[in-house]
Amino acid sequence: MNDGKKGSRRRRSSSLLYQEPPESMEHMSDQSALPNLNANWVNAKGAWAIHVVCIIGLKILFDIIPGVSQETSWTLVNITYMFASYLMFHWVRGVPFEFNAGAYDNLNMWEQIDNGDQYTPAKKFLLSVPIVLFLLSTHYTHYDLTYFTINFLAVLAVVIPKLPFSHRMRVGLFSGNPEDR
Amino acid sequence: MDLQYAQNWLNDILNEVSIQFQKVPGSAIFLRYVKSSYQNDPVRSAVELFLVLFAIRYLLSPKYSTQKKSYVTLSDEEIDELVDDWMPEPLVAPQTPFEEAENEKRPVIVGPTGPKSKLSNGRTVTNLASYNFYNLVANETLKEKAIQVLRTYGVGPCSPPGFYGTQDVHIKTEADIAAHLGASACIVYAQAFSTISSVIPAFSKRGDIIVADRAVNYAIRRGIQISRSTVRWYEHKDLEDMERVLEKVVREQRKKPLTRRFVVTEGLFENVGDMLDLPKTIELKLKYKFRLILDETWSFGVLGRTGRGITEHQNVDAAEVDMIIGSLSGPLCAGGGFCAGSDEIVEHQRISAAAYTFSAALPAMLATTASEVLSMLQTNPEMITSVRDNIKTMWAQLDPRSDWIRCTSSAENPIMILALKMEVVLGRKLSIADQEQLLQDIVDETLANGVMITRVKSMPRAINATTKDIGWELQPALKVCITSGLSRKEIERAGITIRHAVTKIMTRKR
Repeated sequence: MNDGKKGSRRRRSSSLLYQEPPESMEHMSDQSALPNLNANWVNAKGAWAIHVVCIIGLKILFDIIPGVSQETSWTLVNITYMFASYLMFHWVRGVPFEFNAGAYDNLNMWEQIDNGDQYTPAKKFLLSVPIVLFLLSTHYTHYDLTYFTINFLAVLAVVIPKLPFSHRMRVGLFSGNPEDR
Repeated sequence: MDLQYAQNWLNDILNEVSIQFQKVPGSAIFLRYVKSSYQNDPVRSAVELFLVLFAIRYLLSPKYSTQKKSYVTLSDEEIDELVDDWMPEPLVAPQTPFEEAENEKRPVIVGPTGPKSKLSNGRTVTNLASYNFYNLVANETLKEKAIQVLRTYGVGPCSPPGFYGTQDVHIKTEADIAAHLGASACIVYAQAFSTISSVIPAFSKRGDIIVADRAVNYAIRRGIQISRSTVRWYEHKDLEDMERVLEKVVREQRKKPLTRRFVVTEGLFENVGDMLDLPKTIELKLKYKFRLILDETWSFGVLGRTGRGITEHQNVDAAEVDMIIGSLSGPLCAGGGFCAGSDEIVEHQRISAAAYTFSAALPAMLATTASEVLSMLQTNPEMITSVRDNIKTMWAQLDPRSDWIRCTSSAENPIMILALKMEVVLGRKLSIADQEQLLQDIVDETLANGVMITRVKSMPRAINATTKDIGWELQPALKVCITSGLSRKEIERAGITIRHAVTKIMTRKR
């Protein structure tokens, strides 16, 4: 019975960066009890096209706002997409629906996709989208240094958490001690 | 001359490459892009180039798994060897000598159960081992009504309540129980045991906190386990310890995200028989902002003037308790269980409590029987007083007069739990197994003298669980169930039989 003092969920060092501890046996069996609907849809039909559709939609939206220049519009598209994808893939943890007793509460969506495997087709696609969008937006902002810096920082914010190195990596500043959760 | 030649050759190659490159579709766009992006800023171009190269490297990397391999790779010979060596364990462990002896002597009732039951060996004995407190088993009116309902509704709805299992009688029973208790709503489950073990996981999930009494019954323990919640135990009935645990939880959780918190306890404890101090518990749960899940399986229909349970007995408004879980199967002589609480609490369970969603609804005749018994309890409280009188009579024969056993039950509990006195256990250095053996001998001896009682067999250990995990060891005990179906004289005689059997077994030479 889980009496709240499991050794496996102990933070190893007091450093700023630390790895999310591995799950207990019971935890893992709960995870595999049902397919993870929260992460599986990225492999479904149309899940890739929707990124392109959303980006085009955002571009149209920002273009029709009066007084927005092409440079600002592209930058806004870029940072909106980066912000939304960061929120969705890297910030929110767990599963929004209740179907496996909170077995994924400690993992964000990127870590849930394809059961944590790296370099899967879905992950490759999801990493290329922000990079291509960044190259496009810097091109159409005519390489203005301010816009470039903003866009570059935005792309870094979504690319770094996608690297295999960042798998289950937590920044203590943002998420606190795993035992506290 | 050689140098000249090499330069010419290099120029040719470059020309050739550029011609070929211009033939590639889209190359003009690419060139234009590179030219316009260079813009006299080599650093930025280098950053972009790096990003592109990085993306290409990422795209070309092979897939790998981050799951730790939890198995060893074996060769075919090793696999064959292991398969040959494998001896399957029996699905059921072989019986221990104690179990064997117990099974051999196990009494079997022939015909209907009642205060006097006929055994398969032909003898008729006084039955103090059934939860037949009000002797409703012998009630002809209930039987007639049940048969009528059976003819109208059939045996069972054969469907979960959420599909088409809910019948008008279920709605009526739910309303009757809620009205009887004074709660605003009620939900009826098909089995008493699985009620609490599915109510707890319906509300408490991983990361939530449950504070529970160490002596809670097996169904509650299963519910807590299924819920995956973090559980903190407090000493049995020790309200100071409970306050300490609650305070500790509040202190630890102060800076963390808010979780649901519950106190889980029983009205009359199944394993020990004693009674909860409900007003104090409610005071504590309100002070520390916990919700209270109260298992009234053994107190509903038993405590209080009209059998409303511990809330009536201790003069507490039932609405103060967040969830009251009770059984319709024991004292009420029907079947199934219920959970009473606010409308929200009840409605939530209709879709998220496993036992309600996935199990066929309660048979209609059991639902009507439960309603019927509730109205009997309301209109004629003498039913309860006559059982209380019998409890008093039995109590007088056992607890103060016996040198060997004490009754751990509360004085209102018709299930008398009789454990060996502590000084006896310590003086003779009796282990748990020794006590069980002695108590089984007492049960056998009592049966030989025409009174059937039983032992408390309520908590199968979890696999691999030790005393340390549970933190609490249940003392083996006898269970004597009082019924109003016996006269005062008969109860007295049965009490004397039990007492003499205890004395005989405890004083015999070993």
